[in-house]
Amino acid sequence: MASQPEERLRRSPIERATKWLVSGPPFVFLMFFFVAPSIIMVVASFRYPGEFGGLAPIHAADPNTLQGFTLETYRFFFSDILYSQILFKSFLVALFTTLICLALAYPLALLIARSPKKSRDLMVLLVVLPFASSFLIRVYAWMILLGPQAALSQAINGLLGAFGIAPVSLLFSPFAVLIAMVYVHLPFMVLPLYTNLEKHDPNLLDAAQDLGANTWHRFWKVTFPLSLPGILSGSALVFIPVLGMFAIPDILGGTRDMLIGNLIKEQFLATRDWPFGSTLSIMLTLVVLLVVWIAAKLGSTKGRYA
Amino acid sequence: MLKLSAFTEAEQGGAGRRGLMLWLAALAVYAFLYLPLLIVIAYSFNDSRLNAEWAGFTWRWYDVLLHDDDMLLAAANSLFIALVSSSIATLLGTMAGMAMQRYGMRVLTFMVLTPVAMPEILLGVSLLLFFIQVLNLTLGMLSIILAHITFSIGFVAVIVRARLAGMDDSIFEAARDLGATPWQTFRHITFPLILPGVIAGWLMAFTLSIDDFVITFFTAGVGVSTLPLRIYSMIKIAVTPEVNAVSTILMLLTLVMILLATRFAPDALKGKA
Amino acid sequence: MKKFGHRDHRENRAYRHNRCLLGVLFGLWFVSVAAQAADELHLYNWNNYISASTIARFEQQCRCKVEQDYYSDNEEMLAKLAAGATGYDIIVPTGNAVESLIRQHALRPLDKSKLPHLKNINPAYLDTPFDRGNKFSVPYAYTLTLLGYNVQKMQALGLPTDTWAVIFEPRYLEKIKGRVTVLDSQRELMAAALRYLGYSANDTDEAHWKQARDLIIRAKPYWAAFNASSYIKELAVGNIWLVHGYSNDIFQANLDAQRAGRKFTIAASIPKEGAVLALDSMVLHKSGPRPDLALQFIDFMLDGKNSAELTNLIGSGNPNQEALRYVQPEIAANPAVFPDAAQMKRLEMLRDLDRMQRRVLSRMWTEIKLR
Repeated sequence: MASQPEERLRRSPIERATKWLVSGPPFVFLMFFFVAPSIIMVVASFRYPGEFGGLAPIHAADPNTLQGFTLETYRFFFSDILYSQILFKSFLVALFTTLICLALAYPLALLIARSPKKSRDLMVLLVVLPFASSFLIRVYAWMILLGPQAALSQAINGLLGAFGIAPVSLLFSPFAVLIAMVYVHLPFMVLPLYTNLEKHDPNLLDAAQDLGANTWHRFWKVTFPLSLPGILSGSALVFIPVLGMFAIPDILGGTRDMLIGNLIKEQFLATRDWPFGSTLSIMLTLVVLLVVWIAAKLGSTKGRYA
Repeated sequence: MLKLSAFTEAEQGGAGRRGLMLWLAALAVYAFLYLPLLIVIAYSFNDSRLNAEWAGFTWRWYDVLLHDDDMLLAAANSLFIALVSSSIATLLGTMAGMAMQRYGMRVLTFMVLTPVAMPEILLGVSLLLFFIQVLNLTLGMLSIILAHITFSIGFVAVIVRARLAGMDDSIFEAARDLGATPWQTFRHITFPLILPGVIAGWLMAFTLSIDDFVITFFTAGVGVSTLPLRIYSMIKIAVTPEVNAVSTILMLLTLVMILLATRFAPDALKGKA
Repeated sequence: MKKFGHRDHRENRAYRHNRCLLGVLFGLWFVSVAAQAADELHLYNWNNYISASTIARFEQQCRCKVEQDYYSDNEEMLAKLAAGATGYDIIVPTGNAVESLIRQHALRPLDKSKLPHLKNINPAYLDTPFDRGNKFSVPYAYTLTLLGYNVQKMQALGLPTDTWAVIFEPRYLEKIKGRVTVLDSQRELMAAALRYLGYSANDTDEAHWKQARDLIIRAKPYWAAFNASSYIKELAVGNIWLVHGYSNDIFQANLDAQRAGRKFTIAASIPKEGAVLALDSMVLHKSGPRPDLALQFIDFMLDGKNSAELTNLIGSGNPNQEALRYVQPEIAANPAVFPDAAQMKRLEMLRDLDRMQRRVLSRMWTEIKLR
């Protein structure tokens, strides 16, 4: 759409100067505070741990001190299947959370998309509002709800007690972790789904009905495939944050609920083994990249339907 | 032969058994979303140290909150950090959003969006490493502010870019044809048009900063505490309904912010994805 | 069509006004920070480890202000210091953390001439392996990590309360499944397991560690949670019946239970296989701006009356002989707070580990959490 005069203007020195002036400051800032730290982290994973924590020096005057680079942390990571298991467990938790979020979010998004225009914005807002509060508050809410003296626990344990089964703790359990994960991330699934569903052309369903499809068929063969891009965005918005979560298992988790996020946090703050913490972070990043790649692949093949 | 709506009544969510089920399912999800928060708010008025049985209405915990110096200091810190970081992030994010929309710039787009897309812990941890190892910076107010700016830029940029994308390019062409310099174009045309997006971005960045936990957790150091950090340590150490009280107030604050943001840029939240 | 010029003008004013406000706020903050450099003592201490009235009295005496920051375990404190936290005059680390700080050359040596009340300390707590000759540290208080339990429930179930077996052996745990919590601390839990197995809590033999790890994993299904602090409430409420915890926390739980009118009491006991003694000492961090005030504070806390306040408040052990005169008799008679000589022999202080040992321990802890 660029006309000839525009092309000339675009290449003009003023335009170029403006381009660098406008993109420069954010670029420099992010170089400093995003790209550089990431590089530092990659480098750190190849160093030794400091004697009292942190990192060992790259060059030290005293030849006796640990210094320089090493593959030791990666060897340590692979030396025990334990760490890969934690990564896998985190992957599974993220997967379950995403699926449950999808199951809960879809009806809601569908309803909002099909509602009259006037109420739609309000309904979307109502979905977003809980997201507005600090997520710690939302986690804390579940601490209350699942506590041993709250109604839910009393009811369930009362029921179990009637059958002579020992009381179970809802809190500090995988159940608590999962439900809190779903709760915290649900709005992230609703919004992209809704954005997608809203754009569906009613005529397609019209045509399907004319061809004799019933409600279920119309949903499964028309609506669902068209909504796949929305499902993918929503899933990515849920899956990736859940992978790195540590606060929820930390607060609501029991004796077995350690995820990769908890492990990374522990390396940096308790064990003070920064090289290993960095290695774990790199591994987490690789898993995230894998997920993004899978999502991109799924996204492009399904594009055929649209 | 146009039907008023291609959706059958059932699909519309109106009468009919399937429609009813959809309605009920949706309502259940809404209830699921709100019930826990309502309980937090309700128990902030509970006249009992435990978040269990209801023992009577009281303002006691709000009173405790108002006299809790550590909490007030944390609140002041949170507000200050949010103000500074969201303002700077809005400035940088607006610039980034404009650059992304006008010039493409894949590298910048990647750098702007990735901090938003990746798990927060990775950003927190890498910033911790960077501040300590490279900058030798004592963790405190400055490190938190820098960290908050880093993840907020992306949100502002996306909102501003969406706003720009929705605008008709012909205005800019017309301005240039009339001989306006880029600065004049910006000041008189672009800026007023994107201003609602900028304000919405500022409000989003402010909200994110006030509520941030993970990144602040790693970059806070010792002397500085923010509200989420205080809440976290209270949850871990000694839970009293004071936590409910501060949660309620925090929820009100972010509620106001979000409502304002949607007033200025109603598509901001949807365009984000 | 809007008149851009007019709207632009209004917008600009609003923008400038906001920037002005920001500048004012910045200025205020700056001024407040500068003002803080006055007569202040910066204390970095455990949560809930000093009485407010003690602080108030010191502030009166020194005519200064005491700024406090808190931590809830040694690791957190060491990590924050390693991350560059500066400006603390006094820190109150536990023995192994003191050891680490000394080796890092992070502490100022003490000028004993300014500490006339040092003679109040019980010699049993001086000249410890982590600070020979007390060059850098002075004992503040101590806690024991031991068993806390609901007296009535344990009696009713016929369970022993003087051995670690009750939290490690399934034959006992079966009766209290889901009613037991242990500390969420790598060192503390491993120490209890090692002592139960008959080894020293400071044993670094990896084979012994593996035995301890297996012991813990076997008992884990019966435990409700790994819980550092909120278990106090659960004990006091009656949901949890047995804990592996700190003596002062258990003391507090009993107080809470009595105040709430519960029909049970909470007691603590030192298991016969031995337990960990955590001696917390006051040290001067080299980055502290006011070592003079810090020494004043240390001497103040070495005075018997001041030292006793903490003991009376939270039931922490007190290495100060003078303080015993001011401690409430019930607390002074409590063996979990003031162990006698025979029990002292069974207590051990934890030593610091080197980086490779820390890494191995971390892996074991991860296994414990995962399996």
